[in-house]
Amino acid sequence: MKKTSLDKKFDKLRFLEENNKLVSKDQNRLISKFLNNKLAVLGLIIFSIIILATIFAPLLTSYDPIRTDLRSMRQSPSLDHWFGTDNTGRDVFSRVLYGGRVSIFVGLGSSLMAALIGLAIGCYGGYKGGWVDVIALRISEIFMSFPQIILVLLLVSITGQSLTNLFVIFILTGWGGMYRLSRARMLSLREEEYVQALESFGISTFTICYKHMLPNALGPIMVMITLSTAMFILTEAGLSFLGLGVPLNVPTWGNILNVATDIVVLQNYWWMWAPVGIVISVFVLAVNFIGDGLRDSTDPSQQG
Amino acid sequence: MIFVISFLVYFGLDLTPGDAVSHMISPELAATITPEKLEAMREAYGLNATFLERYWIWLTSCLKGDFGYSMAGGVAIKDIMVKTIPATLELSIVALIISTILGCSLGILSALKKGSATDSGLTVAGMAGVSIPEFFFALVAILIFGMHFQWLPVGGRLLPHYETLLDRIPNIIMPSMVLALALTAGAMRYSRSSMLDVLSREFIKTARSKGLPEWRINILHGFRVALTPVVVLIGFRLPLLIGGSTIIEQVFQWPGIGNMFIRSVRASDYPLVMMISLMYVFVVLTASLLIDLLTALIDPRVRLGKE
Repeated sequence: MKKTSLDKKFDKLRFLEENNKLVSKDQNRLISKFLNNKLAVLGLIIFSIIILATIFAPLLTSYDPIRTDLRSMRQSPSLDHWFGTDNTGRDVFSRVLYGGRVSIFVGLGSSLMAALIGLAIGCYGGYKGGWVDVIALRISEIFMSFPQIILVLLLVSITGQSLTNLFVIFILTGWGGMYRLSRARMLSLREEEYVQALESFGISTFTICYKHMLPNALGPIMVMITLSTAMFILTEAGLSFLGLGVPLNVPTWGNILNVATDIVVLQNYWWMWAPVGIVISVFVLAVNFIGDGLRDSTDPSQQG
Repeated sequence: MIFVISFLVYFGLDLTPGDAVSHMISPELAATITPEKLEAMREAYGLNATFLERYWIWLTSCLKGDFGYSMAGGVAIKDIMVKTIPATLELSIVALIISTILGCSLGILSALKKGSATDSGLTVAGMAGVSIPEFFFALVAILIFGMHFQWLPVGGRLLPHYETLLDRIPNIIMPSMVLALALTAGAMRYSRSSMLDVLSREFIKTARSKGLPEWRINILHGFRVALTPVVVLIGFRLPLLIGGSTIIEQVFQWPGIGNMFIRSVRASDYPLVMMISLMYVFVVLTASLLIDLLTALIDPRVRLGKE
């Protein structure tokens, strides 16, 4: 029988296991469960390919994503320009690669930051309670009673458009959910015996909550990070598509799609917008697959 | 809650350039008015009062239905809302109906055939539905159905007075279908897991052992219980619906509130931006309250007011 890449991975895992090289038994179970999920592995592969492609963009394309070349505008895809060129002769393929850098950075970075903030407040608040928790809970309630995109647009209109602003706005809109999730986890963990044991040893609050309890609350948070990464990338694309996200001179996936608002481009120059739309969809799909796989491997109650 | 947010919104409104007088009077009027007169107007509208007093005046006038004026052209915000909200409601309700019916039935189908090819196919399709940007889907739909085949108009909405109901249907098909896409995927996933959960309960076994036909077990016993979380989900999807509709309305040039919101954000029309977002918050909070009440109605296990 021919060995697939999955089989090889399993062989590798088995080999490691037989030689007792796997550090933790528990981790092993989670990873193998994750690897068992074909879609999650597929998602991980696509995710890595796209990320690597954007990181090594200069190696893959010799075109500058910003430099315009009016002699070669609106060319259809060819060997020179894999995805063709746009209205001002910029190479679409290189724009997709460099745009991916910005889009993925904004999506992944802001959801990681939001998770960090949410976790830091949520863990402490959930464990200790007190006025910190009360205030944070109220603030998160305020943030969460806005539909996400409305809040983002509202903040964009107040602060103006820029990459940094968008980053901060995403963190502002994203931390509430993370905070609530980690708080809920901590509230249930608080009652466990090991926490009471640690308390009776007189270990400091910070150590208990960040060193001992936090790792046990991470599972659902990881899932939430992937899901919100997907959501932020979609929101960024949507905003930039409307011309309200990142300023147009920075190539991002949404900004590349922005040309499709022109009906002439939409009808006649499909290569300017279709490839990037597909790349966004595939990337977000990959992230969602990973998130789903993570959920299945960390939370048995959600398994279908 | 709404009061806290309205306070914050008013605070934000207060921070933005220009004061209420410059918002209230139309630009043409502003060109001819003297500074003394402006000052008198400020006094008359109580703008020289403290922040809290002004907030109170603003709040009471909002409750009476006077939302102030848009900066662009000095149109009353109330008029703008009256004009745009029906269009949005029309679109959202159609999308909600399509997505709920389609999503629930597909979800239940995939739960009943758990593990089969249909099930995994639907699961992947559902994931794709969540992952494809709605506007990208909208663009492809416009290109295929609106331009290539020319079956459907590419956008816009016909006015109720001028056309019959039948004439207006083609215009709503594409936007509502696109809007329903992501919602359908969500509803499908949710109803699938909810149905699976219910089907593994004891009372389903009891029903089966009584010798009831399979469809009766699934529909009457299973579906009814599985419905509760789905109703809750409709409430949670409301923000998603609103968010989706803002972009979709823009793509299809649907003259709804989302379209107006984006236009006002583009034009930095602060009073309008603030009022529309406040309205959205109000809608979401009211909806979550309604959902709580509705859950109590459907599910006898949930009782209001008792712990």
